[in-house]
Amino acid sequence: MAIAIDRRSLEPWQDPKAQPYVRIERVTKKFGDVYAVDDVSLSIFQGEFFSLLGSSGCGKTTLLRILAGLEYPSSGRIFIDGADVTDLPPYNRPVNMMFQSYALFPHMTVEQNVEFGLKQERMPRRERAERVAEMLDLLKIGELRRRRPDQLSGGQRQRVALARSLAKHPKLLLLDEPLGALDKRLRENTQFELVNLQERIGTTFITVTHDQEEAMTMSTRLAVMDAGQIVQVDTPTGIYEYPNCRFVARFIGSVNLFEGKVVERDGDEVLVETPLGRPMRMRCPQPLALGSPVTVAVRPEKVRLCAAFREEAVNQIRGLVEDIAYLGDVSIYHVRVSPGQIVEMTLANIQPRTEQALTWGQEVAMEWSPTSGVVLAD
Amino acid sequence: MASPFQNRPRPTRRASRLLNIGVPYLWLGLFLLLPVAIVLQISLAEPTAAQPPYAALWQWVEEGVLQIRLDFQSYRLLWSDSLYLASFLNSLQVALVCTLLCLLLGYPMAYAIATAPERWRLPLLMLIVLPFWTSFLIRVYAWIGILKTNGFLNNFLLWLGVIDEPLAILYTQTAVYIGIVYSYLPFMILPLYANLTRLDPTLLEAAADLGCRPLRAFLRVTLPLSRAGIVAGSMLVFIPAVGEFVIPDLLGGPQTLMVGRMLWTEFFSNMDWPLAAALALVLLGLLVVPFVLMQRWQQGALEDRP
Amino acid sequence: MRRQRWSLYTVLAFGYAFLYLPVLLLIVYSFNESRLVTVWSGFSLKWYGELLHNRQLLDAAWLSIRIAATNATFAVVLGTLAANALVRHGRFRGRTGFELLLTAPLVMPDVIIGLSLLLLFVALQQSVGWPGGRGFTTITVAHITFSLAYVAVVVRARLAQIDRSLEEAAMDLGAHPLTVYLRITLPLIAPALLSGWLLAFTLSLDDLVIASFVSGPGATTLPMVVYSSVRMGVSPQINALATIIVVFVAVAVAIAALTTRGLGSTRTGRRPTRD
Repeated sequence: MAIAIDRRSLEPWQDPKAQPYVRIERVTKKFGDVYAVDDVSLSIFQGEFFSLLGSSGCGKTTLLRILAGLEYPSSGRIFIDGADVTDLPPYNRPVNMMFQSYALFPHMTVEQNVEFGLKQERMPRRERAERVAEMLDLLKIGELRRRRPDQLSGGQRQRVALARSLAKHPKLLLLDEPLGALDKRLRENTQFELVNLQERIGTTFITVTHDQEEAMTMSTRLAVMDAGQIVQVDTPTGIYEYPNCRFVARFIGSVNLFEGKVVERDGDEVLVETPLGRPMRMRCPQPLALGSPVTVAVRPEKVRLCAAFREEAVNQIRGLVEDIAYLGDVSIYHVRVSPGQIVEMTLANIQPRTEQALTWGQEVAMEWSPTSGVVLAD
Repeated sequence: MASPFQNRPRPTRRASRLLNIGVPYLWLGLFLLLPVAIVLQISLAEPTAAQPPYAALWQWVEEGVLQIRLDFQSYRLLWSDSLYLASFLNSLQVALVCTLLCLLLGYPMAYAIATAPERWRLPLLMLIVLPFWTSFLIRVYAWIGILKTNGFLNNFLLWLGVIDEPLAILYTQTAVYIGIVYSYLPFMILPLYANLTRLDPTLLEAAADLGCRPLRAFLRVTLPLSRAGIVAGSMLVFIPAVGEFVIPDLLGGPQTLMVGRMLWTEFFSNMDWPLAAALALVLLGLLVVPFVLMQRWQQGALEDRP
Repeated sequence: MRRQRWSLYTVLAFGYAFLYLPVLLLIVYSFNESRLVTVWSGFSLKWYGELLHNRQLLDAAWLSIRIAATNATFAVVLGTLAANALVRHGRFRGRTGFELLLTAPLVMPDVIIGLSLLLLFVALQQSVGWPGGRGFTTITVAHITFSLAYVAVVVRARLAQIDRSLEEAAMDLGAHPLTVYLRITLPLIAPALLSGWLLAFTLSLDDLVIASFVSGPGATTLPMVVYSSVRMGVSPQINALATIIVVFVAVAVAIAALTTRGLGSTRTGRRPTRD
């Protein structure tokens, strides 16, 4: 019992009684004839680190700008903390945004940048100074206070931008590609810092990113978007392990897809027949009619070498090694199982590579368990 | 990215619209468009000896009857008196020759500056722009002292022994060419330079890599790609040169017929306002085509900015 | 490759000589004692002395400076508004006409602008009684009309370069659009406003043709005085005037170059380091 309560406070979306903090209700945004955002509804809870993930042009940035008030929806409503903010201009919203370009005012010092928003709400001077100091402290940029943006490095700019957008203690912080302008190594460190910061101050974060790894690392939940619509909303684990369609399965990580149709149901497992000839038995809680076309999705790291290959066994397949990519910690093998299909398998390099058995042209047998993949209805 | 408030004009947005569009529009409408309409009206009026020296175009003859008198005499005069036609043709010729001369001198200069070492470019460019900040009139005047019979140029050439007796350059069309090229050269160089610096130098390297000799690479790569700059510079020289007044008046002789000067004379000396107005309108009509070219270029230049 | 560079630089040198020799000669001969401008007869400052006692010329110069300053100020305001309209208001109705009207003054021959404005002033005077007479006001209005187009070009280019997200960020931080314009946009386009002002000032100070059309008796600008004395032939006083103008401009440019270089060094002094 105690565990269940715990789980609910950590995962408010599991709790049917929890009130969402940000509610997006059937929001649509048209630019001319193009639907940038198409009938999107979404509930985000207080304290969440929520990511909108998608490739460029999928509408994620437009949705973020609608939340900021920089864009007005063609239809639909936005509620923040219970209040309808749909028609509020950006300067009257309890929301702040960190821009992709950081948008630091080049003619102001770091301090003046951070102070800008506080001045707009006419905060008394002393309180303002305290708040600025608090923010500079929080992001450890105190010694940069007198510098101008063009005297800062990329990482420093990012911190200033963050300090500026947090200074007003917004109810909601929007981050547009917060790490997009940083180079790879810095990006990885900053991911964790950003999450720690968010946990410390407890502000609700909504970020936009096209980087799936970033979204997986940082978010409590994420929404995958495509062509203006939300395809799936779930926790990182949920999205990765249980994608709800081929688009999501393919968008995040690599995946092996086998087309086939359901021929038998046995409890919460189904038997899928594929053109490859080998039947596959997969866990499938959702109801599917016999004979309906489906796709079986199995992640490469869930594919193992098969010790005992039997012609009549399920979830086993044989092929020739066609390509090997050595990545250090793991190697990726492309195994051709039929003229039209390659199966990708990732194996940890436990032994030094030279001692590894697999080589080009070698025949291998592979298998996976019924619970290590999903069945997607087409 | 589209601007905020796009589909919901707010009071601030509306006020900003009114201020930013309305005020300049009003000013230009009142002091640029309306005057041209008045020029049209007066070009159709009859010249008189009155003050102002033209007859009213319309008058109320009796209650409710409006009499409009259009007089096409000015236009007929423009067409029938060969003097005017000759001045138009000569203006076009002078402008064309000067544009070509500017291009011939300006292109290599712009190219040299654009390909000079980075830190030299700005100072070199400043030197092109600098004369523009001093008085145009005085710079034209300087040529009188140089070109006249006992002027600097003749003295110099005599001293060199190139010529035996002074050349008559001042008060000829040659002097006008020199004056116009001198005054408008920066207008040719600036757009060319802007265009040439945007040219990706790796294109020339690629051409060389593919076996293209420098001259050929210039003709096949650089020149076609700088076409926009050439058009812009040419228009910036050609258009004002056609209507130029000061240079032909100070440096040209009595035989240097140019429209701008003609208009000035008709207006100030002959007091024939309708004829001057007709001249202005025909001149304006002549410049519409190059103007549209120029407008097109300007938009392009602003839009392809990153 | 090398030979081509040299021939290129030769053309460049010739071009600069062509642009600067006339002005240099003017300056040299402004110190000439002789009235004959091209015959050197000894160093003298007498033409400067005469210039400083030329009441007519000094009055004209003062009038021209007043007109130029007034013109530049109005032109900057109107030109900036026009630039705002073009950059910030997208495809408004009548935009094509707006742009046309804004480009026309850049290329319309002076004689046309001058003539048409004079005819307008005459017509206005007949119908509404304004302007009462021709002089300071009419010249200034005429100058503003063409100067604002130049200012608009300069400001528009700068405005188009500004990152829109700066203004959006300010709005996001709670600044009203007007505050955004005053606190963010204006400081960022300030250099363009300054160069626009100087450009408009110079254009006005330089104009002979338009001023001649729209001025009335009693309002004689500096170019009009210079023109009438130059038409009579060469006048050493004008050489002296030219020298003063050139020195003034050179000093102004040097100051501008030094200050921008100063700014530049603090800008680039600490290059953003990649970390």
